[in-house]
Amino acid sequence: MTARVVLEKVTFTYPGADGPALADVSLELRAGEVLVATGASGAGCSTLLLVATGFAPRVVGGHLVGERRIAAERCGIVFARPWTQLTGLCSSVRDEIAFGPASRGLPRDDVLAAAERAMADLHVAHLAERDPSQLSGGELQRVVLAAALAMDPEVLALDDPAAELDPEAADALYDVLPAVAAAGTAVAVATPDLERAARVASAAVVLEGGRIVARGRPAEVLGGTDVARIAGAAGCPPPLPLDVPALLRRVGR
Amino acid sequence: MIGYVPGHSPLHRAHPYTTLALAGALLLGAFAATRPVEVWALVGAAAVFAAAGGALRASARPALLLSLPIWVLLFVLHGLLGAEPRMVVGPVSLSVPGIARALVLGGRITAIVLGFLTALATVSPHRLVEAMTAGGVPFGRTFLLASTLTILPRMRERAARILEAQQCRGLRLGGSVVARLRALGPLTLPLVLGALAEVDEQVLALDARGAGSAARRTALDPPPDSASQRALRRVLLVLVVAAYAWKFWRMRG
Repeated sequence: MTARVVLEKVTFTYPGADGPALADVSLELRAGEVLVATGASGAGCSTLLLVATGFAPRVVGGHLVGERRIAAERCGIVFARPWTQLTGLCSSVRDEIAFGPASRGLPRDDVLAAAERAMADLHVAHLAERDPSQLSGGELQRVVLAAALAMDPEVLALDDPAAELDPEAADALYDVLPAVAAAGTAVAVATPDLERAARVASAAVVLEGGRIVARGRPAEVLGGTDVARIAGAAGCPPPLPLDVPALLRRVGR
Repeated sequence: MIGYVPGHSPLHRAHPYTTLALAGALLLGAFAATRPVEVWALVGAAAVFAAAGGALRASARPALLLSLPIWVLLFVLHGLLGAEPRMVVGPVSLSVPGIARALVLGGRITAIVLGFLTALATVSPHRLVEAMTAGGVPFGRTFLLASTLTILPRMRERAARILEAQQCRGLRLGGSVVARLRALGPLTLPLVLGALAEVDEQVLALDARGAGSAARRTALDPPPDSASQRALRRVLLVLVVAAYAWKFWRMRG
């Protein structure tokens, strides 16, 4: 698989901050992969996404030390709060989703085709004529993800994308990610939602204080997270079987 | 009601440049007019403009609320404290030139506010963006103008959400003027801080969707323009230039 993003000993500090938000991070994000980054609040997961997609320091400012290679022309990002990601200039969902491809200067028919494709992939075609500001949070987050996908990104970052969603909408959103990755996009998700993350991840990292403290296959990495440890200490089963043996144990075989 | 109100009036159907040109002509004309009769003819024109957009009822109340404090101030400054000669109306002695001055200044403000609110109510931000995109205007300028048209309704929606949340926590809105002023604190602080926090995410989201791209944006559905509307805009330009020429010629005389 082609490496879309390579970070080698990257340290990133926000403008005016006393210390780095990311420290000495080395990471590879490949096409077709769903990488999950998790950690406590302030661990640096969101910053990792901003650095991996090139938005930091280009848009947010700050200072980056180390080597970063991004082999992608288009990087998309989706945040937790969908209403902050609307352009505020479009009167319909179709126009909102077409905004990105139109910005690329593609021919009109290609722009509309990209929008239709993204709406079909995210199952929001029935909302095409609706005013985005009148949608529910779950619908809106799917529209925002469709808008990001319509840009045909080579790298897609999602920062706690289900934080504002009900369980059903969160499941639907995570269910889309393997297909997005299978189409060749490198997907990175920062989330504390280990249960859903484990279902879709092909690789995982755990951050603490801006440093990667664990990495590897989701079953290995996420099984050792605080949630799993706490659940184990309390004598409860882990939140989700993270590998086949655990699944078999859970169902009693 | 401040902000775009969907409709089918002649102003809604007109090319956005035409509606903005009419509002702009009212604004510039108001400053060119120096006599009460001229200014109040423009106030009448602004009312016709609002009626043509089906926005007279929607615009008149906010225009009155916005102009009223200025009218009171003008009446005190010019009407009560203005120069001789004076006339006595009941128990009050009024300055004759001061009243004329207050009528001119107040009329200007009223015409401008009414014209601006009518433009806000009848120019769809989406159509304006499409018109400017089709005209090859860089997106940065387009966004600046269109977001000016949408900022008031967006702030109002946000303020309503904050108000509901604060009322749930026991904020009381009624009572004396002092109590009402005190209630402004829990409203304005989260309003401003929340807006600033969300701007960061919106900048990133827009950048990710190519808003800063050097490519020329594709217009998807540009509003139709016509020879008669283009001619009307030229006539308005000529009228404004003539009004200022007339004003300066009179000042020299």
